Amino acid sequence: MPKISKTFLLIFSLALIGAGSIVWACGGGDWDETEYSNFAPEAFVDHQYSPFFYNSWQTYYGTDVNDNSNTRYNQQVSEDWLGYLDKNIAQKDLNILLFSTSYGGIDSAYQHFKGKLNTLPAGLPDLKTSGLSKKQGDTFFSYLLLAKKCEQFAVSNVTYYWDEKVSLVTPAPEIKASLFKAFKKNRDVFVKQRYWFQLVRYAYFEELPRLNADSSAGPDNSGLVTLFKQYENSFPKNSIYYRALGYLAGHYYKRQDFARANYFYSLCYNFSSDMKIPSKWSFHPQEEKDWAESLQLAKNKEEKITLWQMMGIVHDEKRAIENIYLLDPKSEKLDLLLSRLINKIEVPNHESYMDSTLQIMVAAEDITLVDRIAVKGNTRKPYYWNMAAGYLHALHGDHIISGKFYDQAKLQLPENDRLMEAQYRLLKWSLYLSQLKKIDSNAESEMVADINWLADLRDQKDTVGGLRYQRALSESISGLANRYKMQGDLLKSNCFQSTTAFYARDENIEAMKSLLGKTNKTPFEKAMLRYYPYHMGDLYYQQGLMLVYQEKTDAAIALFEKSGENAAHELLANPFNGRINDCHDCDFAAVQTKKYTVLTMLRTIKAIKKEITAGKNLYTNNDLLANVYYNITHYGNARNFYQTEITGADATSAIDIPVAFRPQFTSSKIAEKYYLQARSAAKTSAQRARCTFMAAKCERNDIYNVTYNNPANEKKYYWDFDFETIPAGRYFAELKSRYSTTAFYKEILEECGYFKSYVNKP
Amino acid sequence: MLRKTVDNHLYLHFFDVVWNEQEQQVLPNGLLTVQCPLKGLTVTPVVYITNQSLKNSAPAQMDSLAFKVHRLLSRLTAKQAVVYENIQVDCDWSVDTRAKYFTFLRAFKQITGKKLEATIRLHQVKYPERTGVPPVDKGVLMFYNMGRISADLNARNSIYNYEDAAAYTAALPNYHLPLDIALPLFSWSIQIRAAKVIQLYAKISLQDLSDRQKFEPVYGKAVHVYKALTSFYLKGAYIKKGDLFKFEGMDTASLARAAKQVSEYLAPLENRNIIYYEISSINLPLYAKDIKDLSAYF
Repeated sequence: MPKISKTFLLIFSLALIGAGSIVWACGGGDWDETEYSNFAPEAFVDHQYSPFFYNSWQTYYGTDVNDNSNTRYNQQVSEDWLGYLDKNIAQKDLNILLFSTSYGGIDSAYQHFKGKLNTLPAGLPDLKTSGLSKKQGDTFFSYLLLAKKCEQFAVSNVTYYWDEKVSLVTPAPEIKASLFKAFKKNRDVFVKQRYWFQLVRYAYFEELPRLNADSSAGPDNSGLVTLFKQYENSFPKNSIYYRALGYLAGHYYKRQDFARANYFYSLCYNFSSDMKIPSKWSFHPQEEKDWAESLQLAKNKEEKITLWQMMGIVHDEKRAIENIYLLDPKSEKLDLLLSRLINKIEVPNHESYMDSTLQIMVAAEDITLVDRIAVKGNTRKPYYWNMAAGYLHALHGDHIISGKFYDQAKLQLPENDRLMEAQYRLLKWSLYLSQLKKIDSNAESEMVADINWLADLRDQKDTVGGLRYQRALSESISGLANRYKMQGDLLKSNCFQSTTAFYARDENIEAMKSLLGKTNKTPFEKAMLRYYPYHMGDLYYQQGLMLVYQEKTDAAIALFEKSGENAAHELLANPFNGRINDCHDCDFAAVQTKKYTVLTMLRTIKAIKKEITAGKNLYTNNDLLANVYYNITHYGNARNFYQTEITGADATSAIDIPVAFRPQFTSSKIAEKYYLQARSAAKTSAQRARCTFMAAKCERNDIYNVTYNNPANEKKYYWDFDFETIPAGRYFAELKSRYSTTAFYKEILEECGYFKSYVNKP
Repeated sequence: MLRKTVDNHLYLHFFDVVWNEQEQQVLPNGLLTVQCPLKGLTVTPVVYITNQSLKNSAPAQMDSLAFKVHRLLSRLTAKQAVVYENIQVDCDWSVDTRAKYFTFLRAFKQITGKKLEATIRLHQVKYPERTGVPPVDKGVLMFYNMGRISADLNARNSIYNYEDAAAYTAALPNYHLPLDIALPLFSWSIQIRAAKVIQLYAKISLQDLSDRQKFEPVYGKAVHVYKALTSFYLKGAYIKKGDLFKFEGMDTASLARAAKQVSEYLAPLENRNIIYYEISSINLPLYAKDIKDLSAYF
């Protein structure tokens, strides 16, 4: 059976059946508002409007939006009854009866309450001892039983299911008769108004099938309008009243009287936050004419303003702002529209998302409008308009004018509002940054506080709820790095944004080490280094790494010893092993009796070299060295030896290795040298054949490298390279001419396809 | 008018089969509500299956999907007292959903016992070795939607244009399925703001755009282009001052050109149906006589 949540009299007359749930409308991209925005609506706009704060990827903003039409008013309904029943019933019990008990269950609970049923079915609250009077009980249960019957036609689930017979039942005439009887009989305003609501809703659903079939359906015989008008003034203007009004609006909407429908929806929208979402969802002017008529129906300025606000959030913020401002410059309803206007402008398009230096386009008419209102200064929150105008000018590149608006805003800021102060500070900082031409020591002193503050926000050492600082943070990092770079100060530039090329020069690393090790750092240096991602140990490792590829083993070991954790991490495979076919996964999976770390690998290299100098085991030792120098290249099984945050940790293809380090990490020259030395020391022709083949691998790798490094291939992906036709090289020729009778020769014919096709070539 | 022109034969879209993200299951959607009696009309029910729903289903679920679609269709057609011999299944399947879709079609054929027609997009005619030929009795070639809907004011008509169509027609004679042809009997206006497509409106007609109080024509473009002079509501759409509207439509001449172009490449077939495809409930831009003239091409 499909899951249908039947709840109690809770539906609003959604004009668009089938479209009631949250729509995930991915417009430009999957970015969050906080990523690109510098302007938080939370700082300026009343929280009741928060679902309508601008959101580029969801229908509603925020995570606490209740968009379930079947449960939206549960809380309100429960509280209304609780008050009416003088709290003589526990709210938990009340909620069970109101929202999750069937008609039969309610009847049982009622019979038990009256003493006509001895055993109460499981799960139902016992109200006998609750303190509820007989009169209260009768009123409550009589209403609830009838209301439950009405759910059959009024509470629907908008999802179609395979097994569902019909989504809504046609209202049964006997329900109408019972409602009328109860309505006439009851004198109590609370209950009478609820029966009235039920009757209005009944009338709506009674005519619905006919109107769905033909919306121009003849004269209105539903009686809904009469019923509504006749009694609307007999009751307080509470939630029940506005929900009834929602059905009146729905009635007009279905009859295509859009002017009235939208006007009534706007009154509901204005009543409470609960009603804002369904009313805005149903609000659909069709033609300019019916929109103008809706405005004419508005009884006063405030009602007109509400209509304009709805129109603004649905379609045109600018036009709405202009009109509301004309009606009442002090209207609080301007706030939401201004935040949406700004936030919409901030949204990056594809191009500006990829390249943050591209200027955002701001329409001249938007700037003119916000300027005009800000300058006039007659709104409720003049600082808000000044900040908005300043921000728009900043986005547009008019820094001087922007600063003037911000200065004006500063004089008007409300006191003791942390979010507002933070918002102001963020905008000011952003403007300062974009005006920064040359950074001298004065500028550095000026920046200390703000760059520390941004780092605090990033590290959650300071939290300002609602503040959007991500964009300012990333702009600060890239902005400062770029400016220092332009000034030729690579050290500082790399503190903010590290580039690989910087670490290719040892003097740069030395300079960075000095800075990190400085004992009397200036406040600016301290703040700046909060953006620097590496530690002293990382720099020692980097220096040691470079020395390894120059075979300066002792010096490298000395540096690695200072590199802390870096040199202690385990290698994934035994780096002293070599194989015919490179297979890193096989090497990782192989049994490793000894696990090598970077440091133990280097110490082993040192020991082997010592033996070679002493003339011991020359074949084996040279072969081991060849293997290890092979394995610490891109082609070997110890890539994680050289893959660090500095050199790039995720290169799976040689072309992804940064150019600055590619020669060291890809060249097999050292390995080749040791394979040839091993060959010279070899005792058998099988050993010599093996060394020759291993040298052939090195030779081929270097041919690949030449191709990868060819500037003409810079833009290619790895699958674009074709190595079928590369030259075979001298070692293949030697193998064929000298070693074709060895057992090893047969082995490589089996294992190495390249070699096999070389041999078989006519 | 439909009754008069198309041999009382109507293709009627009964529902969609879609992937419901919230429910995490394949469900029907957009069930047909019929506003006039269908008696006396020959109806071919159409069921649209989104490729997404196939992607999210396991091959083993195809039998039960076929059963569910059959049961719902039976219920809806029984309600309207519709008697039918054929069912059209509309799906823009892809290489990765091909096996599942074809399994579905075989099961559906067996359960319903009806003749099945499947819609065929142009790219499927061009690359049958990749996309496969569906196991049905007949295909319906959708001879429209050949271009990209773009904000480029000089782009060719995306509904139909001879040049783009020519890239596909050569493959037609070799397609291993008898083909009916669906021709586009619709038009739309593309709303463009800041060089981006905002919305597509079938309901905004050339006549609406010709209102010189509200729009001014932009001359010298490949299709009709109009610029909004003010901000206003029109047929439920909101138009902002400066918005551009690109009208893409099919008039008698272009429809005749399409008919002629496709007919030259079709393998001979007795009783070929020519289906005029329209969107929702807009008024037909053509008259009965035009349609009869066009049908003479086949």
